[in-house]
Amino acid sequence: MSWLARQSFLGPESEFVLRDSHALIAGLGGGGSHVAQQLAHIGVGHFDLCDPGRYEEKNHNRTVGGTHADIRAQSPKVEIAVRMIRAINPKARINVIDDIWQNALPSVRGCDALFGCVDGYTQRDQLETLCRRFLVPYIDIGMDVNDAECGYVLHGQVILSLPGSLCMRCFNFLRPDLLANEAQGYGHAGARPQVIWPNGVLASTAVGLFTQLILPWHNDVPASSLILDYDGNRHTTTLSPRVAALSGVVCPHFGGLDDTGDPFWASPSCRNKAKTI
Amino acid sequence: MKLNFKAHRSLIVRIQEDLRRPHQFAFERVGFVSCRFGVIDHGALVLAHDYHPVADEHYEVDQSVGARFGSAAIRSALEIAISKPVGIFHVHLHDHPGVPRPSSVDSREWAKFVPNFWHVRPELPHGALILSSDRIIGRCWYPGLIRPVAMSRFTVVDSHLTFWRVAR
Repeated sequence: MSWLARQSFLGPESEFVLRDSHALIAGLGGGGSHVAQQLAHIGVGHFDLCDPGRYEEKNHNRTVGGTHADIRAQSPKVEIAVRMIRAINPKARINVIDDIWQNALPSVRGCDALFGCVDGYTQRDQLETLCRRFLVPYIDIGMDVNDAECGYVLHGQVILSLPGSLCMRCFNFLRPDLLANEAQGYGHAGARPQVIWPNGVLASTAVGLFTQLILPWHNDVPASSLILDYDGNRHTTTLSPRVAALSGVVCPHFGGLDDTGDPFWASPSCRNKAKTI
Repeated sequence: MKLNFKAHRSLIVRIQEDLRRPHQFAFERVGFVSCRFGVIDHGALVLAHDYHPVADEHYEVDQSVGARFGSAAIRSALEIAISKPVGIFHVHLHDHPGVPRPSSVDSREWAKFVPNFWHVRPELPHGALILSSDRIIGRCWYPGLIRPVAMSRFTVVDSHLTFWRVAR
């Protein structure tokens, strides 16, 4: 019996589809480590893992797979993810990019879907733009904690950004003022609070969207991009009303298929720091 | 070298619908797909960009083949590559489910005219595609390589992402 037998409702070919699928995870902290773990469990066969960070004590409250030994060794976050994926699926092919994703563009262009588990709006903007150019579905997750009058508000989002459909600017998630403020360093008040359980919820939802994208198990699948709002105080994830409000709207921010491809195309002699293990 | 092909489903559907239209005398229709490119690990990505049907009047009568087009059709395709930095891929339809196979006539004719696109865009790959009702195959004339390369992985992007490999 296959170790994937209990997910046979995904279809008779699902094992092969998943084995041939190729996911890139940008950021292997609180969100990305969950995504990596779950993708390995469902049988995804090819991973690109991007993160330049080293594991520190401050990461230990939320990074799946991290150990005290990793804190002492200051292990690269990608190594922790590789170890975890290997323990689940020894046959997974893993492209290790112990670097920022911007230095792994050939991998970004070649993946089937990209999970953005990064901080800040600018990186998200860049990732989505790149994904649009190379027809890569982009799945973004993020959470935040804000100080409110009666306590703290936990909230977050999962965004599925499909080529040719609405984008994060359409959803008003990326706004020029937010990008400008971030570029000028306004509002930077040190490390933002992060905890494991919202990241787990958001990552699970993201993996569900990815699985639905490649192995739809029901006709009721998202027909276009979407944004799901996470309310961490009420523990709910709901389709944002912005999706319905934008029904029928054509994304004005990306030129559809006209903006595809590398404008500086040259033959593929490009070398990156990736190594397949 | 690895060559992957990727297209949005809306474009593939548009191509299929156009190629299914009957022609006055040709047995089948043909067209050209303009493509853009990106470097990926160990190869290149071919991104279908737009579709350009061969005009009705550019077909020539030839009972021995499904469709024969004249030099005007090639000139039109060359003009596309002159006006935009795109590779040109000839396309036709084998309207059945499953992986289509190129005939010996397909292979012979592609080898005659595809390299002509290097006259206007020598830096870009060009090639040929065959669509079926649910699959695609393709062959690519890649700059610097003498022999054409079979594209090995195909992805169709939409709210349902489909991808498959074609054995070489």
